[in-house]
Amino acid sequence: MSGAPQPRIILDEGAAPAQRLDFGWEKAVAAPPAEAARWSSAGLVAGGIAVLLLGLALLEAGNFVAAQFARAAWLGAVTLAVALAGFGLVFWGIAREARGYLGLASVDRARAAHARGDAAALRRELAAWQARLPPGRARAGALEDMPMEAACALVESKVLAPIAQDAAALGRHAAMQAFAVTAISPSPALDALVFGWRGIRLVRQVAALHGFRPGIAGTLALLRRVAMDAATVAATDVAVDAMVRGLLSSRVAEHVAGEAAAGAVAARRMILLARAADEACRVIPRAR
Amino acid sequence: MDPLSLLRGVLDTAEDAARALIGRERLRLAVTGLSRAGKTVFLTSLVANLIAAGRGARTLPALSDAAGGRIRRVFVVPADTETVPRFDPEAHLAALAADPPRWPERTEDFSTLSIAVDVERRTSLGGILPERRVTLDLIDYPGEWLLDLPLLGTGFAEWSAATLARLRRGRRAEAAAAFLDFLDALPPDAPAEDALAKRGYGLYRDALRACRDTHGLRLLQPGRFLNPGPRGEAPLLWFFPLPETARGGLAALCARRYAAYLDDQRTTFLDPFFSRFHRQVVLVDVLGALHAGQEAFEDTADALAAIAGVISGANLIERLLGAAPTRVAFAATKADHVPTRARDALAALLEHLALGARGRAEASGAATAFHALAAIRCTEDAVATLEGRAFPAVRGILLNEGKGATIYPGEVPMKPPEPAFWDAAFFQMPEFRPPRLDPAGGSGVPHLGMDGLLAWLLGDAL
Repeated sequence: MSGAPQPRIILDEGAAPAQRLDFGWEKAVAAPPAEAARWSSAGLVAGGIAVLLLGLALLEAGNFVAAQFARAAWLGAVTLAVALAGFGLVFWGIAREARGYLGLASVDRARAAHARGDAAALRRELAAWQARLPPGRARAGALEDMPMEAACALVESKVLAPIAQDAAALGRHAAMQAFAVTAISPSPALDALVFGWRGIRLVRQVAALHGFRPGIAGTLALLRRVAMDAATVAATDVAVDAMVRGLLSSRVAEHVAGEAAAGAVAARRMILLARAADEACRVIPRAR
Repeated sequence: MDPLSLLRGVLDTAEDAARALIGRERLRLAVTGLSRAGKTVFLTSLVANLIAAGRGARTLPALSDAAGGRIRRVFVVPADTETVPRFDPEAHLAALAADPPRWPERTEDFSTLSIAVDVERRTSLGGILPERRVTLDLIDYPGEWLLDLPLLGTGFAEWSAATLARLRRGRRAEAAAAFLDFLDALPPDAPAEDALAKRGYGLYRDALRACRDTHGLRLLQPGRFLNPGPRGEAPLLWFFPLPETARGGLAALCARRYAAYLDDQRTTFLDPFFSRFHRQVVLVDVLGALHAGQEAFEDTADALAAIAGVISGANLIERLLGAAPTRVAFAATKADHVPTRARDALAALLEHLALGARGRAEASGAATAFHALAAIRCTEDAVATLEGRAFPAVRGILLNEGKGATIYPGEVPMKPPEPAFWDAAFFQMPEFRPPRLDPAGGSGVPHLGMDGLLAWLLGDAL
């Protein structure tokens, strides 16, 4: 073969079978660790103000309690009781807000575990989520020793599908209300107000179906997620939506139905909002 | 193009346009290759590595970079009501990871699978707008059947003449000696006896098998003689090439069955799966052809030209309707059987080997590229000391013996070798054990060059 040696096979010396080759592939291709969440400037400023307000208020209250004790023991005890009750309520409220907000983060953790195929982490998250579900809601039961796909399919059919149906029912209910209010309300400004209030309430109701009790911060975070998911829902529903808008917003329809046409569009939006909220709260992505 | 196909083409083009409009493109990827080129392993590796890449693993870095890091998730599209069997990458991966490992058996039937790739949009509003979904339609099938494509435009007499001319030359004559003797003994006016037809079919089929398994030849037709598929050896197959002197009932029977065979292949295989696709990859075991000698090497080139001419050679209307692939990648498989420095030579040699196929693909408006890849990498680079000199080689674990071995694969020329090159004896590359694999495929599988190929083939569509 043009000067070069012939192809050949040179067996390793020794009779022992060799181990399979290991290229360390898993480590080589592992996804880079996620960057730790960084605080935005606005977050830092808000956090600083909160620390200053709460910290200085605590210090001031402490000083005040000490001064009261210096005046009279019974006066100090009463002041201490008032301060403890007051701060206790404040911290209780903060803790509830934090719990509601962090509850939503569990959705991201479960979805991330699902996306990277981490069955153990997903099962942990699903168990914790099922424990939080409201009483009376059907649960998928124990998911240990079940393949990930099977566990997801079970959760989907036993828990998430009924929740989606209930969310749709809530959406229809809200739609009826929005339709009625928009059709009879005297001013467009009131329409917007009623629609906004009913929308926020709907989102919170749907979140409650998924076992979340969002406070103010939680609701804001949830609304942000719903806004993102609404785009997806709207895209998949674009044809129907366009048809409904086209039919009910046309001049003919307006002539026939008057203000009811605008109400129908608002009602349609409520149904979409319920679906988007359901999408935002799902612990695992919808089965494709 | 008949009116019905034209109408179907127009509808398909309209569907493609509508899908593109709403960000739900469907991309049909034809993975073509002659038998034992590694289609099944290629598809298994493609699916496992794509899904792992969708989970954030850097299994296909070149593809991720080509897509600008916008791949968000990849998943297997759930089955609907398909009647075609489903390609099962999990089962193939489990067999490869098992102890002892098993390479996929020879593919006996079709199977299909669709993979959805969700990607963030390229626009500045990409983070807000819904993701695009590109669905890849994949198909696995017996490689032998691919060579039925060129037969579609060939009549029985023409095919018989060309086949017999080939059979009487070189190694084929040796392998087909019994069949040629039978043919010579057959009277020109032989009657339409099934016993004769079946006997001739059996001898011709055995000749084809010997050509494939003993001599490494590839241009062997019809495909179902070598791989009858799930329906087995039906009477439809009882025909064989006859010399033009044959005029009797047997000749008419063979001609009728030949036409019926092609009609059946067209209906069940070619029209549903090969009438329209967007991208094509042609897998070739270049090293196997090189080691099997000059005749096998040239035979592989002829086979490649024949199939590429039919698949990529779409006419103007088909091109206008988007029925022709826009990118055709040729890939030399099993590149891990040669050391790193010889892989470029392997791709260059493929470029020469597939010169005819390339010309036809480019004539139909497709862009072409040549790659060397290993869908599953089974070896590492090593050095072999031969006749007192060090040569780059590869080291792997032999499949059956389980022992380690260093293999010097010989010189890999960058262009078709000189006649003296072929003086070397036939060399059979041993089968290697796959490396340690995760049976669940959570991190994909080790490969060489898959990402570069996919980046070129699919990068612009993501």
